[in-house]
Amino acid sequence: MKRALAAVLALFATVVAGCGTDGQESVLDKDKIVIAVRPDLPSVGFRRPDGGFEGFDVDVAAYIARKLHKQASYIPVLAADRAKVLTDGKADLVLATFTIDQERKKDVLFAGPYHVSYQDILQRPDETIKNVRELKGRKICAVKGSNAAQRVVEEREVPAQLVPFDDYKACLTALKSKQVDAVTTNDVILAGLANQDGTGLKLANAQFNEQRTGVGMRRSDVAGCEAVNRAITDMYQDGTTARLLNRWFGKSGLDLSTVAVPQFEGCS
Amino acid sequence: MTLAQPQAPQAPAMPAAGGPPPARRSVPGRIRVITGITVASLALLFGALAVGSMTARDGLQVIGRDAGPQVVATADLYLALSDMDAQVANVLVMGDQYAPQRAQALDRYEAARSRANEALMQALSLADTKAEQATVHAVLDRLGRYERLTGQALLLDERSKHAPGPPPQDVVLTYREATKLMRVELLPQAYNLTLESGTIVRATYDEKTVMVPLLRAAVVVAGLLALGCLIWLQVFLARRFRRVFGPALLVATVTTAIALISGLTVLAQDENALRTAKSAGFDSVLTLAKARSISNSMQGDQSRYLLDKEWADTYEHTFLDKAMSVVYLKAGNLRTYHDQVAKGDDDVLGLLGPELVGKQGDQAMEAYRSFQAADGKFRELVAGGRTNEAVAERLGPVSQAFDAYDRALVSLSAGHQAVFTRAIATGEGSLDNLWRLLPFAIGAIGLLVIAGVWPRLKEYR
Repeated sequence: MKRALAAVLALFATVVAGCGTDGQESVLDKDKIVIAVRPDLPSVGFRRPDGGFEGFDVDVAAYIARKLHKQASYIPVLAADRAKVLTDGKADLVLATFTIDQERKKDVLFAGPYHVSYQDILQRPDETIKNVRELKGRKICAVKGSNAAQRVVEEREVPAQLVPFDDYKACLTALKSKQVDAVTTNDVILAGLANQDGTGLKLANAQFNEQRTGVGMRRSDVAGCEAVNRAITDMYQDGTTARLLNRWFGKSGLDLSTVAVPQFEGCS
Repeated sequence: MTLAQPQAPQAPAMPAAGGPPPARRSVPGRIRVITGITVASLALLFGALAVGSMTARDGLQVIGRDAGPQVVATADLYLALSDMDAQVANVLVMGDQYAPQRAQALDRYEAARSRANEALMQALSLADTKAEQATVHAVLDRLGRYERLTGQALLLDERSKHAPGPPPQDVVLTYREATKLMRVELLPQAYNLTLESGTIVRATYDEKTVMVPLLRAAVVVAGLLALGCLIWLQVFLARRFRRVFGPALLVATVTTAIALISGLTVLAQDENALRTAKSAGFDSVLTLAKARSISNSMQGDQSRYLLDKEWADTYEHTFLDKAMSVVYLKAGNLRTYHDQVAKGDDDVLGLLGPELVGKQGDQAMEAYRSFQAADGKFRELVAGGRTNEAVAERLGPVSQAFDAYDRALVSLSAGHQAVFTRAIATGEGSLDNLWRLLPFAIGAIGLLVIAGVWPRLKEYR
């Protein structure tokens, strides 16, 4: 009796709560959700010639959508537009190597992180750079729109020379032709690039800046964020994360010895 | 009370010899019908009151007795685990000096370990989802491995008899593995358990803030209906039987009105209690628990920065990252951050931003400022290669500054914890009173209605 009553009340509450939200819908209230992923990062978020997307972020996105019982469609997003697609309502979730930081948290609510990566260094096979200090005086590639190279100089205070390039493709060409000595950014991005390149470029495994990669959501969607966090916990507990990391980065030289659920940022 | 109408139909107490005429038979029939409707509306009123107070009680129970204590237990777990790791790091930089401090740190490690065990047991008993239980089990498993690794590191360290400062490489490598296990696997799970309690409270609170006012409205409607029916019954009897009042029904009406008003008051009090417990109590307790956890692992990062040269940059960065999540000030690197903290800014973002209010808040900010200043001095010593002094600084002034800051957070939290406990107790107390009085009210009203109607019906026998 008490249970039936509770069920009826819960149903009633859902209906009322559904009416009460003022336009800002939670992803939980939708049947179909739009997820923004990167089109330009091999093994992370990459657009195939057939127009579909593939990569670690894409698989994580699909897992989360499945756990939330939503039908997902994907749109491409570049680094500079990640917050904008959320505020403009073009996407419901952003899984696009979106690093959680306090500035971004003013506009975006972060579920997760679903992965903790580190800033790392990609070098030619004959080089022996082991940590960020050894970039002193070396030429490193600075990609437009990414602050990774800048952080070496400003945050770590290592006097490296920044050489600007438009994108990672140009960076890799420059690295191989010795115009620069290293490319530095998120380790998964570097691992994906090295994988695709296939000429033996290697990671230093320097792991010098922790980068917490989260799921970007609309600022008001606390309930949705909590549901995504639960999905991420499941993804680690049921072994999916380990499988996906191995699938995409198993041969890249990335250290995958510890796969553990990250410390969540919290949804408030 | 309505007076008896002069044009009332024939007096009822004149039964005819033959079959009763339809009009007469309809009088007791109508009395029964109106009484039935009245009783049904009273049942509706008390039903709505019961459901309303059950809903409120459920909310108070989840927030006050389940998730609230769970936040405390899981935050204790995090602090104990993080303290274990910080103490090991401290011992490893002490080297062959600081014998008394070493013994003290090892004692503190043991104490933290038993606190962690206790908190784990409690977290397990409070865990109510499968995922939460799996998390607690995973922590239990890995804690054993962690202790084995730290035991090894401590033993290697003792044998090496190194000077204060970074220990030999084999010690560093063993400790690196241990602290990675702690920081990457154990602490996040403990932290996420704390967050999960916050999720449960938010969901419960959101549900109750929709339900309780709705049920309160239902109580008002059912109550007015019941009062209306009682009055209707009274008027009907008065007209039919030429009486000005039925005292029993009058008292029943007044009792119903009192029950309605007190029921509504209690529900309003409970709504208030839930709001206060959540907004003025729980939310701040949770935030401060998170801030204490993150801060505690910051001080561990200081020792690790000193201990592991190769990973020093990573530990410095995680220190900055954590500092910024606690008190956010725009800064590209740690030195700028120190400057910004020293300069002071009234409008801080980050976890502590909304909590640093009032005199206690100012004191906490002041303590944080001293801690960051001590950190700056400590890092200057490390960077200048003055390892001995850096160790002394870390074990002395830096720890003292940290402890003062931590105490400030604890006393901030204690204020909110008191508000929380009081709100839950007030809410439950007023519900208890309502539940104690309701059966009497129901019984009394029932008897009074019977006393008011029965004699009239009997006149037809």
